[in-house]
Amino acid sequence: MFQNYIKIALRNLRQNKGFSFINIFGLSVGMAVAMLIGLWIYDELSFDTCHENYETLGQVMTTQTFNGETGTGQAVAIPLSEELKIKYPKDFRKVAMASWNFGHIIAYGENKFSKDGMWVQPELPEMLTLKMLKGNIKALSDPSSILLTESLSKILFGELDPMNKLVKLDNKTFFKVAGVYKDLPYNSEFHNSNFFIPWDKYLAEQQWVKNSQTEWNNHSFQLFVQLNRSDDFERITAKIKDVPMKHLNAATDGKEEILLHPMCEWHLRSEFKNGHISGGRIQFVWLFGIIGTFVLLLACINFMNLSTARSEKRAKEVGVRKAIGSERRQLINQFLSESLLVVFMAFVLAVILVQLSLPTFFNELADKKISIPFGNPVFWLICISFTLFTGLVSGSYPAFYLSSFEPVKVLKGTFRVGKYASLPRKILVVVQFTVSVTLIIGTIIVFKQIQYAKSRPVGYNREGMISINMNTPELYGHYDALRNDLIKTGAVENMAESSSPTTGVYSNQIGFDWKGKDPNAIPLFGIVSVSWDFGKTVHWKIKEGRDFSRDYGTDTLSLILNEAAIKLTGLKNPIGETIKWNDKKWKIIGIVKDLVMESPFRPIKPTVFLMNMEWVNIITVRLKPGLPVRESLAKIEPVFKRFNPGSPFDYNFVDEEYAKKFQSEERVGKLASVFAVLAILISCLGLFGLASFMAEQRTKEIGVRKVLGASVFNLWSLLSKDFIKLVVISILIAAPSAYFLLSNWLQNYEYRSEISWWVFLVSGAGAIFITLATVSYQAISAALANPVKSLRTE
Amino acid sequence: MIQLKNIFRWYNSGANRNFVLRDISLDIKEGEFVSIMGPSGSGKSTLLHLLGMMDEPNEGEYLFLDQSVLKIKEKQRSELYKKHIGFVFQAYHLIDELTVYENIETPLLYHGISSSERKSMVADILDRFNIVGKKDLFPNQLSGGQQQLVGIARAIITNPKLILADEPTGNLNSKQGEEIMELFKTLNAEGVTIIQVTHSEKNAEYGSRIINLLDGRIEKV
Repeated sequence: MFQNYIKIALRNLRQNKGFSFINIFGLSVGMAVAMLIGLWIYDELSFDTCHENYETLGQVMTTQTFNGETGTGQAVAIPLSEELKIKYPKDFRKVAMASWNFGHIIAYGENKFSKDGMWVQPELPEMLTLKMLKGNIKALSDPSSILLTESLSKILFGELDPMNKLVKLDNKTFFKVAGVYKDLPYNSEFHNSNFFIPWDKYLAEQQWVKNSQTEWNNHSFQLFVQLNRSDDFERITAKIKDVPMKHLNAATDGKEEILLHPMCEWHLRSEFKNGHISGGRIQFVWLFGIIGTFVLLLACINFMNLSTARSEKRAKEVGVRKAIGSERRQLINQFLSESLLVVFMAFVLAVILVQLSLPTFFNELADKKISIPFGNPVFWLICISFTLFTGLVSGSYPAFYLSSFEPVKVLKGTFRVGKYASLPRKILVVVQFTVSVTLIIGTIIVFKQIQYAKSRPVGYNREGMISINMNTPELYGHYDALRNDLIKTGAVENMAESSSPTTGVYSNQIGFDWKGKDPNAIPLFGIVSVSWDFGKTVHWKIKEGRDFSRDYGTDTLSLILNEAAIKLTGLKNPIGETIKWNDKKWKIIGIVKDLVMESPFRPIKPTVFLMNMEWVNIITVRLKPGLPVRESLAKIEPVFKRFNPGSPFDYNFVDEEYAKKFQSEERVGKLASVFAVLAILISCLGLFGLASFMAEQRTKEIGVRKVLGASVFNLWSLLSKDFIKLVVISILIAAPSAYFLLSNWLQNYEYRSEISWWVFLVSGAGAIFITLATVSYQAISAALANPVKSLRTE
Repeated sequence: MIQLKNIFRWYNSGANRNFVLRDISLDIKEGEFVSIMGPSGSGKSTLLHLLGMMDEPNEGEYLFLDQSVLKIKEKQRSELYKKHIGFVFQAYHLIDELTVYENIETPLLYHGISSSERKSMVADILDRFNIVGKKDLFPNQLSGGQQQLVGIARAIITNPKLILADEPTGNLNSKQGEEIMELFKTLNAEGVTIIQVTHSEKNAEYGSRIINLLDGRIEKV
């Protein structure tokens, strides 16, 4: 019996190739999208779960309030860790200080690499449950030891046994390899740490760190903790949140609270508002989850739609089967197994599509390393139950509908589809197009916002510049010599050093005072220390006053403020005014046009530029325009090799660094546009199928009208009108809902574009155009058919 | 075998009642070959559908093998129908997607007959109707007469006691028609009761009894 069903199903599929293609392909695209998004979400949710103490680990975060503005960050002061250890021993199982994860030069003999690593207290490797391949996980209690990842050990030592070998860090200090651990997977927040080095050495080696040990207002470090219980984070946060204020002066230091950020929220809930978690990537998880569900829904709708539309053609078969003894139950079984067969075929195709698109396209788009977990039984269980569910749900309507036909009517030819039989189908088309149009509008607005921020004037020229991190001591103290040598190569127009690259502001400071300042305010300024040539190198624009210059010996106490900073001070004639800070009096010598150094979506931070060559750590080089970049770099490299023989020549292009600021928005935009295209494609496939059935059903009507003198155009508009009506309804629903959703999204950006009316116009016109193009083929071929033929079939 | 008592069948159209069958009483014995005749719209097909349990009267009583068809449950009725009745249509109504062999086999599937038995039964009937060579063709590859042959083969494969035929030769030329009628005659001789609806006097002559319908009533001859 079942064999018979399958046979009929397969022959039906083969006989209606176009229909079968639309049905199977449309459904499989929908399933593939849902599967990709499912895998993506699974990956997002899996972050940091590789650490066994995932549920009890956390990071201490600081919430600072200056001038009513609250910001939460990972930076904490060193004394906090001792205080937590000593005063709250019952609440914390382990506490470990750590530096930022930043670049070092690590060398074994002539093997030199620039790699990121962290200074950490000896407890951290254990807290992270590193999988030791060699050596001891507690080894960092010896301040001369280092723990390496397997991959770093491979490139440093090759096949040699790394244990107890000495590596040189930043051309300065030797460490003994005391352990090798398995690389952390890319979905660990510590994935980019290639080695761990002992905190005690950090204290011993760097004076400023040593000084920070007692400074409660120096927030330059990270603090990780492990609790006893996973549900203790809130309780302990409440207990410790005011610890820093016991040691700080609210009047000068501002207000500060600490909180515990559980590891399970690091990846997805990493944004804070007023000292509380406000969201993060979890929003994308929801967004894509909803989109995936909708795309799949669209595909299922198509499937049901096309099946029921076709069902009227199969009415005769139902009649015959009933006449030769089939029971209703058997017919229901037949149609359900047919739909299961089609869904299963679609599923197989979907797996193939996913498998093909993951490495070639999706992983790059989403910046992931996802693969289908073929070996995971849960994956198969979900997929199979999902296939069954889709098959049963989308097959049930046609199955119950078809099997209810009365054989006499069907076989006599008096069977007529009711007036309202097409209503559900129309509603489904409206749902499809509402989703599609919403996605189109959304995509346009996301790209418009990106474009808007991209065309924002940045205040400097980011083309043709490279930046180099000053990792090793050799690069310091030769500013003029290095600069002269670089310019002498002929490939360099100018060079400067600074404490932040042009694509970031690394330091924020309080404690500024000036004439007319509100005595209660504690304003926060970004601080960038630069060399004389910085402005001329980056091509900033002095609006008033003058740039730093070698001609003025006093420039070590001069300030240049950006426009935002001037606005914050409220000074009417700022040039020549004095600002007190750090127990010194500084003179404002110039105002520079705002530079977009941080997020292009946010307002410009009030920033102060000054000259302190002790703080610089970035070299910025402007290449001579017009020369091939590769040649210029080839000329520059030997100069750096000469000054810094211990390090590889590592550089970043400034315009690339700037472009990275758009990465996450562009990724969202690209993903959204892919999904929008797929949604439209699926909707169109459905529409095409429906239009063909409609044209077929109305063959007789069309024939009669033609005999009565209707032109092809008349018939075309007659047939297209119905669909246009539905699409217009969809646009009317989609426009306000898209407006609502996207104006909410744009609230995330302080520097945002307006939602203009033309977006809706273009999307609506696009949807109508696509509909016409889809329907017209069927409509015109029906209209062109010879009426004699179509009338004879009656 | 069949007893109809005072059968009425009507359709409501607006406030009016359109009677299709009025007060039909009829007795058909096993082994009869009955032809129902009458002009278009006289209710022939409706009567046939009533007899075939595909339609129900608004009033009256229908006994099939001494069971009251109208009083038993849907399920029992379809059992009764499945077991004893075969249907032959004017437009053949073969399933287009199935081959000749599969079309004939389908009723056996619904009767739950085992695969090996099905094979021999279908083979027998193909042989008997001389269409073994056509078994793998699809309906649209056959002539009308051949299609109707398959239709009849499908109707009798379950060994029904009664065959209902709705203008079985209506779409055929006279030679094909004659062949079909000869076949019916043979089947009747083997003991199958046959009731056919027909327009043609000539075909009606094959039957042992003719019932004339006019405006839903049986004309007494």
